[in-house]
Amino acid sequence: METGVDPKTIAESSRSIVTGTRGTETVFDVAGLSVTYGSNLALKEATLEVKRNFVTAFIGPSGCGKSTFIRCFNRMNDLVPSAKVHGAVMYHGRDLYGAGVDPVEVRRRIGMVFQKPNPFPKSIYDNIAFAPKVLGMKRDLGERVEKALRGAALWDEVKDRLKENALGLSGGQQQRLCIARAIAVEPDVILMDEPASALDPISTGRIEDLIHELKNDYTIVIVTHNMQQAARVADMTAFFSVEVREDGGRHGILVEYDQTTKIFTNPSDKRTEDYVTGRFG
Amino acid sequence: MPRVEFQHSLDALEASLQEQGALVIRAVRGAIDALEKQDVELCDEVIAFDDEVDDRHHRIEKSIELILAQQAPVASDLRLVLAVLHDSLHLERIGDQSVTIAKLTKLAAGLETRRDLVDGLREMGDRAEEMVRIALDSLQRRDVEMARSLVDLDELIDRTNRRVTYTVLEMASSPGQQEWGMRMIVVSRCIERIGDHAVNIGQQTTFLVTGDFHQAIDSAH
Repeated sequence: METGVDPKTIAESSRSIVTGTRGTETVFDVAGLSVTYGSNLALKEATLEVKRNFVTAFIGPSGCGKSTFIRCFNRMNDLVPSAKVHGAVMYHGRDLYGAGVDPVEVRRRIGMVFQKPNPFPKSIYDNIAFAPKVLGMKRDLGERVEKALRGAALWDEVKDRLKENALGLSGGQQQRLCIARAIAVEPDVILMDEPASALDPISTGRIEDLIHELKNDYTIVIVTHNMQQAARVADMTAFFSVEVREDGGRHGILVEYDQTTKIFTNPSDKRTEDYVTGRFG
Repeated sequence: MPRVEFQHSLDALEASLQEQGALVIRAVRGAIDALEKQDVELCDEVIAFDDEVDDRHHRIEKSIELILAQQAPVASDLRLVLAVLHDSLHLERIGDQSVTIAKLTKLAAGLETRRDLVDGLREMGDRAEEMVRIALDSLQRRDVEMARSLVDLDELIDRTNRRVTYTVLEMASSPGQQEWGMRMIVVSRCIERIGDHAVNIGQQTTFLVTGDFHQAIDSAH
């Protein structure tokens, strides 16, 4: 792995990319990525490229390593003491795990939205303003908050109660608030780990509409258990499965990565076919 | 294997299509027999029998509507459901062509005929019936080669159709046979369309097996 990369270089390199057609430019180039937790192999040798302004979905059964994989994209696995990442994760051509790379800067450029909405127990305004303030983006903070809330399709619903506690919002609104919080620091990529699995169908529909909007400005990687959701929102889909070793141990593998339309109409691998048609297991 | 009920509904759907196919083959044979024997009574039977074909088509459509709404099929399941939907409509149209043949036969009853032309139409009808059978078998066996063979068989029918037209034109000098000849041109056209529908059913088999719609279309040219 490359070492000694100035974290600012990563920011500059991604910021410098202002032109380009959707899906032609590589944001993440992952090669032979394996993840272990202690002596347990969780994911074995995954290789794929994530394209700019595409929605890329990771699908697969429980334990297939898809959440482990997405957490490698913004170094969230660093927070798990026993986790070790092997292989290369190149972000705009730079090694994300290079020795000089600041994980905090990485997480600013590559935001994340989790399964369960997790707003701070503060006002709606403060939820959005918190990260920009900490990162020194204090100019025009009010405008920044409004822009983020508009970007997350939440502004019209909360503009008259910005000082109210965010915990008073519905689950769907809380999740859009978390998306607003993620985009307030102007990231390059938004990672979403089951962003709608705790929401009702109406709120899920809003999140999916929002994903369609957001991909104009951001690169989105989404883990979902809902295959129809992947079929609806994603440009590319990666199917992960569980491989059982001779010693009885199990680890995740990337089985197939292709255009979403191909995965859901005519997948190349029988394991993918069995999973998407519900014949898995 | 999970989704047992779903698999049952797909199996039942396919079985229902094959049953519709068997009914349609009976209709084609009935229409051609009636034409050859100038059997007006049999014509009426063929015309009435079409209600059964239509009823089967509507039931298949209803089943597919439910499967799409309840099961959201994808990949090969989705292709199968779409193929059955198209095939059922093609079979329904073949039934309609059989009815038209029967009606024309009734209208031409009692007119002066030409034996060689009747034999030619009989031959075309037999080929068309065989093509429908091959098309349905190709689906059942998921046999792309069998499906593609329909294109060559269709060419034989098309050739006979052209020959019928020339023969009728020759009959212009026989005023007594003109009306019958004109009606037989339309009969010939109906049989030719049955062959086309069989080719279309074969295309659906290719699409189901390969997942490549362009390949399926190309195979018919």
